[in-house]
Amino acid sequence: MKSMLRSSNRKISLILIALAIGYLILSYQLPPYPFVPVDSDLMPKALGYLLIILSIVLFFSGNNDAEKETKVDSRSASEMFLLLMVTALVILYISLLEIIGFVITTVFFIFICSLVLGYKNYKVNITVSILFPVVLFYIFNYLLQIRLPSGILPI
Amino acid sequence: MNAMQGIMQGFEVAFSLEGIFFVLIGVTAGTLIGMLPGLGPITAIAIMIPMIYGMDPTIAMVLMAGVYYGAVFGGSTASILLNAPGISGTVATAFDGYPMAQQGKAGQALAIAAISSFTGGTVSIVLLMLFAPTLASVAVSFGPVEYFALMFMGLVAISSLSEGSVIKALISGVLGLMAVTIGIDAQTGTPRFTFGNPNLLEGIDFLIVALGLFALAEVAFLIKKRHDDSLAKTQNIGSLKLTKQDFKEMKGPLLRHSPFGFIMGVLPGAGATISSFISYVIEKRFTKKPEEFGKGSVKGLAAPEASNNAATSGSFVPLLSLGIPGSGTTAVMLGALLVLGINPGPLLFQDHPVVFWGIVASMYIGNLFLLVLNLPLIPYIAKILKIPRPLLISLVMMFCIIGVYSISFNIFDLYLLLIFGVIGYLFRIYSFPAPPFILAFVLGGMMEQSLRQALTISNGDYMIFLESPIAIGLFVVSILSFAYPFLRDRKRKR
Repeated sequence: MKSMLRSSNRKISLILIALAIGYLILSYQLPPYPFVPVDSDLMPKALGYLLIILSIVLFFSGNNDAEKETKVDSRSASEMFLLLMVTALVILYISLLEIIGFVITTVFFIFICSLVLGYKNYKVNITVSILFPVVLFYIFNYLLQIRLPSGILPI
Repeated sequence: MNAMQGIMQGFEVAFSLEGIFFVLIGVTAGTLIGMLPGLGPITAIAIMIPMIYGMDPTIAMVLMAGVYYGAVFGGSTASILLNAPGISGTVATAFDGYPMAQQGKAGQALAIAAISSFTGGTVSIVLLMLFAPTLASVAVSFGPVEYFALMFMGLVAISSLSEGSVIKALISGVLGLMAVTIGIDAQTGTPRFTFGNPNLLEGIDFLIVALGLFALAEVAFLIKKRHDDSLAKTQNIGSLKLTKQDFKEMKGPLLRHSPFGFIMGVLPGAGATISSFISYVIEKRFTKKPEEFGKGSVKGLAAPEASNNAATSGSFVPLLSLGIPGSGTTAVMLGALLVLGINPGPLLFQDHPVVFWGIVASMYIGNLFLLVLNLPLIPYIAKILKIPRPLLISLVMMFCIIGVYSISFNIFDLYLLLIFGVIGYLFRIYSFPAPPFILAFVLGGMMEQSLRQALTISNGDYMIFLESPIAIGLFVVSILSFAYPFLRDRKRKR
């Protein structure tokens, strides 16, 4: 466990160093602004180098005994798949939100998402997934004056 | 305008029908969210922010204070009933609260927690009323040098005091500072790290970061743990009535740990978690019957509860008087204040005393209503925990998405939300603490501005940071608090 932790720390530190280098390259490309003693690139450059230093320390640091890493268990393949499924659903929901409208997309999102996560009670699921979006739409549009997209519904 | 007048005016608003209504909504929503494992005050406040757009600032603050206290109390409730603390600040509550609940005294345990929270909060608010104006009057003379030093200290302190590895906490803070450099630079107008994307010109809204890093990341863990149905097993809570003996036992811990928690809360980075643990340990040493601790001791429950609530109110001192949050939660609270057009800081107290005292009054009201309104409702609120997990997860995700959409009306921001959700999830898996990130993200803009202002004044000479005695003092404290965890670890290894 300990050696695994150490290697994960090393991997992360390499990724962070790569990130810091990319960030620094962009910082050095920032156009100069001639009329100020300290320009917009000061802070980014400092942060970039700081991140590299901290990542190097992380690379060589043994693991703190008090630190507990969240266990990634062996059954996690199917769990990972489920997480990706839900992420895909969220992406679909986001991308259709303005086109089809809040009410319809949300009804489908709540229903399908709950179903994917293993909720079997269809009656409750249908009731909740219809009731919540409709009530929320009413509250936001009429009470809070925040216009949620109505989309294809003629509201 | 003197303090008394200001407070009275604040109370007037808070005690109006509208005020009471919103406090009730706030404490209920806060308790509800706080009870859910992993979802704490940060998520609760962030989710409620879209609601307060365009509201009267005092009413909105009443609502937010309600949410805040509700979420902390919700955490205690989960600790007592389920031994599943919603937030780290209430872990110590479970030590004696859960054994009490198992003995069939869940109602009494909740009542003790509520009364202790109320006492801790009240004492702390009184101290806040005394301290904050004094601190503000000192801070009026602060220039960019002192402000930079102060924020620097806040960031180092939260990193060195957070759980787990200090290096990881510092990296988390640096990443937060880097995230805030995205967008147009305020001083020169140079677009930075926007990759030509017009959506990034204005920078990333902090609500996206807060909801992504905390709420969405927790949802991912809820998905993994969705089969755990311990939440549904909430048994009957029983009577809420306390005996005279209980009150007698509570008195000592309450008197000791309310002021103690306040001091811990004022210190940047310390806050509710650390103060509740220390209080528990101190109380165990103080008592004549240490063997009762861990088996349902009234004192062992009252001490951490008084302490964590006092610390929560105490953490408002630097936020209100200096305009600088010292913790993740107050950083999000600062976000809420900015949404309302309130700029907390020494000038707030001078220029808008009504708003200042309004906030203080609303905190007090939030605390009071928690005791009067929330406690009797707890048995009913606890029933909501029986909502099936899959449904709950879908609804929380939907609330996050709509919350972000309703402030920006921009689909691009929703993708950003998802990205921060993934980042937050990775943070959790590899045990990088998220609070330094959010605090750095909120402070980053101000920090860069004061750094550059200071250097502009000195014409690029860094020695200006060593010319102010206050700044030197703050830097020394930063270095000490940075060195502390290393010394502690070394001592432990021996």
